[in-house]
Amino acid sequence: MSLLTDLLARARALLLRSREEREMEEELRFHLDMETEHNRAAGMTPDEARRRSRLSLGGLDRTKEEVRDARGTRYLEDGAGEFRYAFRSLLRTPAFTIVTVLTLAVGIGGTTAMFSAVDAVLIQPLPYEQPGQLVRLYQTRPGEVNVKNFVSPVAYLAFRSQLSSFEGVAALGVYSPVGADIGSGNAARRVTVLPVSRDYFDVLHAPPALGRAFVRDEEIGAPSVILSHALWGELFAGSPEAIGRKFVMGGISRTVVGVMPAGFEDPLVAGVSAWVPLDLTPGLNPNEIRDHYLGVIGRLRSGVPLDQAQADLSHLMVLLAGQYPSVAHEGAKLYPLKDDVVGSSSRALQLMLGAAGLVLVLVCVNLASLLLVRGSERAHEFALRSALGATRSRLIRQMLAESLTLALAGCLGGLIVARVGMAAIIALAAGSIPRLSGLSLDPRLLVFSIAVSSLCAVVIGLAPALRAAHAEPRDALAEQSRSSTGGRRQLRVRRGLVVAQVALAFVLLVGAGLLVASVQRLHDLDLGVHTDNVFVFGLSLPDARYDSTHRAIFYSQIESQIERLPGASFAGGISRLPATGSYHQWDATALSGPLAGSRQGEVMAENRVVSGNYFRALDIPLVDGRLFDSHDDATTPNRVLISKSLATALFPGMPAVGQRLESGGFTSVVIGVVGNVAIDAEGQLDLYVYHAYAQVAGDRNWAHTLVIRSRGPWTALAPAIRGMLDGVDPQLVPYRPMTLADAIGQGEVQRTISQRLLATFALVALGLAALGLFGVLSYDLRMRTREFGIRLALGAEGSTLRRMVLREGMGLTGLGLLIGATAAFPLSRLIASLLFRVDPLDPSVLAVAGVCTLLVALISTYLPARRATLMDPLRSLREE
Amino acid sequence: MPPDRTELLQGTLEMLVLKTLALEPLHGWGIAQRIEQLSCSVFLVTQGSLYPALVRMRRRGWVRTSWRTTANNRRARYYELTPAGWRQLSAESAAWERASTAVNWVMSARLAPAGGMP
Repeated sequence: MSLLTDLLARARALLLRSREEREMEEELRFHLDMETEHNRAAGMTPDEARRRSRLSLGGLDRTKEEVRDARGTRYLEDGAGEFRYAFRSLLRTPAFTIVTVLTLAVGIGGTTAMFSAVDAVLIQPLPYEQPGQLVRLYQTRPGEVNVKNFVSPVAYLAFRSQLSSFEGVAALGVYSPVGADIGSGNAARRVTVLPVSRDYFDVLHAPPALGRAFVRDEEIGAPSVILSHALWGELFAGSPEAIGRKFVMGGISRTVVGVMPAGFEDPLVAGVSAWVPLDLTPGLNPNEIRDHYLGVIGRLRSGVPLDQAQADLSHLMVLLAGQYPSVAHEGAKLYPLKDDVVGSSSRALQLMLGAAGLVLVLVCVNLASLLLVRGSERAHEFALRSALGATRSRLIRQMLAESLTLALAGCLGGLIVARVGMAAIIALAAGSIPRLSGLSLDPRLLVFSIAVSSLCAVVIGLAPALRAAHAEPRDALAEQSRSSTGGRRQLRVRRGLVVAQVALAFVLLVGAGLLVASVQRLHDLDLGVHTDNVFVFGLSLPDARYDSTHRAIFYSQIESQIERLPGASFAGGISRLPATGSYHQWDATALSGPLAGSRQGEVMAENRVVSGNYFRALDIPLVDGRLFDSHDDATTPNRVLISKSLATALFPGMPAVGQRLESGGFTSVVIGVVGNVAIDAEGQLDLYVYHAYAQVAGDRNWAHTLVIRSRGPWTALAPAIRGMLDGVDPQLVPYRPMTLADAIGQGEVQRTISQRLLATFALVALGLAALGLFGVLSYDLRMRTREFGIRLALGAEGSTLRRMVLREGMGLTGLGLLIGATAAFPLSRLIASLLFRVDPLDPSVLAVAGVCTLLVALISTYLPARRATLMDPLRSLREE
Repeated sequence: MPPDRTELLQGTLEMLVLKTLALEPLHGWGIAQRIEQLSCSVFLVTQGSLYPALVRMRRRGWVRTSWRTTANNRRARYYELTPAGWRQLSAESAAWERASTAVNWVMSARLAPAGGMP
């Protein structure tokens, strides 16, 4: 009870401080007056009375102090004063303050952002119920057990009905990104649509919030649709009446049967706005046992371990092989869904985490040196104050207040840096690293980072304070005038910090340099296509409005129209862009020539459907024969172009033109051979069969991407093309327009992101190291101003002194580089998986990194040296 | 002859203030005067010790204050006991009784004739 009263009284004293002061003043004054009166009444002479009251007054201040003490708010009031004083003294040395706060902000903010990203992607479980039970199923090719192949519909249906260890197995059409255009004219846009089987939401244990999931009868590609929460809001303003209503999507009128809850995210495809039923009608596709295009996920029954499920799966594949001998050697494999989704990113993210950790270490080292420097600077001041009567605790409190102020400012800065950093990470990587779009500031991590950095700042700031406070004032003052460099051990520590900073900066630079070199090698790679000034976009012509003949005519017309535009040179189209991965990989069988009928006469080849001047747009050379022209259409016999590599494979030692082959169900004559094209951004070559769009349009609605070579920058051309498309069909939406280089680069997103992030870290590290070096070295020199003054006065040349300083500084830098280089050897192996044709110990990278660090150190050393030695010797001597 | 002033015994100031206020609410100056009077000028309370003590007692909830006008029409801060203050007073005076009686016993002891403790 009395504790409460006590606290209340203290709080009251604190808050109503000025009133308390006034009242105390008034009360004491009253006492004094009464005392004077009393003395006069007792017969004292006025002089004596005045003398007495003056004496009392003398004790008045003491009394006031004691009353203030008794209030019990002393510490707090003093504390506030300490902070104000700390704030002011920090403002007096702006360079130090800014550098320290920045350093702290970068350390806290950068690591928090990075840790948050890693946490969101790698550590957090998938946002579904019991995510540990979810797996992804792939089929494997004979002899290639680790290749993850899509699943054929026949296999999928077997999985669904016969795998007893699974509670449910669902399929998704993820083979090629499916989009649909909605709206028209200016409001036309493309949304990502995912075809799924009926049990998809069941397997995820994520039922629709409104309406229902798909049913068996709809697995014929029925015109139903389940909307995402966002799309529902857009199209139907969130009205529950949406169920049962129709709207046109991709030319087809679909009925809304369900709406997903807010915040539901598809595990495999980013940004899905709508789900539609797959078409799993048996017998639909004659190739269906061999057509692999489904993604499959499943949910294990509770308690069923992974290897049991795998055994089940393999057994089923054997049974299937019995039924369908043509796929006898195919297997199937399952992986936990989360690993599957994030797997490829984990390496890059872990690396980024390591880099962030290094930066954090650098930040701490920087802080240490900065605060040590400041501590030493204040040693003299503390000695003086101590001699004048300041208590140790007072001095320590003061340093503490300073460190805490810095830590607080650093934390605020860190918050800003973290927000910016995360926004940058999301902008950079959200489209390609899964689960990153949900990134938000995790309060735990922020608190952790703040705590760590504050602790660091306080502890490091306290060390010199403790030293200074415990030193005998006389020693400290004497030391100041004699050696003026602050003691031997301090010097060693400072030197050690300089070396550490140099080493860390060097290591980070090497890492960044290696990645930059890799990306450069990729850029310089010859992929067989000319990517300058080429831009692409997808266009989908819905079945409902365009039949096969019209589609062929449409593309051909569009391409010629585009070519007539002033900024364009060539326009064409292809079913899948070069160097963007495998697509329509089918058997290609030679039907004539020496290998016909033999095992070597059948290879797996990439099939592409081209239109217009595709080859000319990309400078793919014609090696033999002729390219497609207007004579190759639906009425003429099937003709194909093949890549040089395929010609060598199927028709060795002879001209391929005129030979016949079969691929994808088309028996065709080879009319020409074109140059080789890489299948991925790393330059891996592959075998290609090119069909003419006009000839195969009737087979299916091929995905088609337009490829346009412009004379100048393509941004000038884009609006003209948009306008032209609008004029022809306002409901069509150019899908994902970008340069070809970007489209290819997207496959290299891991490397690019890592490169950019690591380069950022390295630059930041270099900046921090430079600042730290500059700070420490200038302080060193400031301390030696007196020494220099003496030397100069005794006749030394300024240049000699500068050389001496440089020598010392470079000596430290050299040591730092040596240590850094030694550390770089094992560390660079860690990023070896991200490197492309770059040796982890690439000498040119090491050299460049070393030179950069050396230069920075040189500047950091030379500038303060120059300043110190150019000063008037007398001033130096007087400066204290 | 000026009276013999004696130092206030350690820790007794607050008890004396409590007792003074038990008689009637007073301002600071009044408390000092009353203690001097009641102790027949043996104890002289300085403002340096009185006011800090009053602040402490207020913090502990033994007294409460109010600003009033004196008989001479001047403004002064008056102190009076709270119920907790009354309780504290009786506790401290009981303790004082025990302590001072014990001291008196020791101080009035005489050496017993040979043979042991009285």
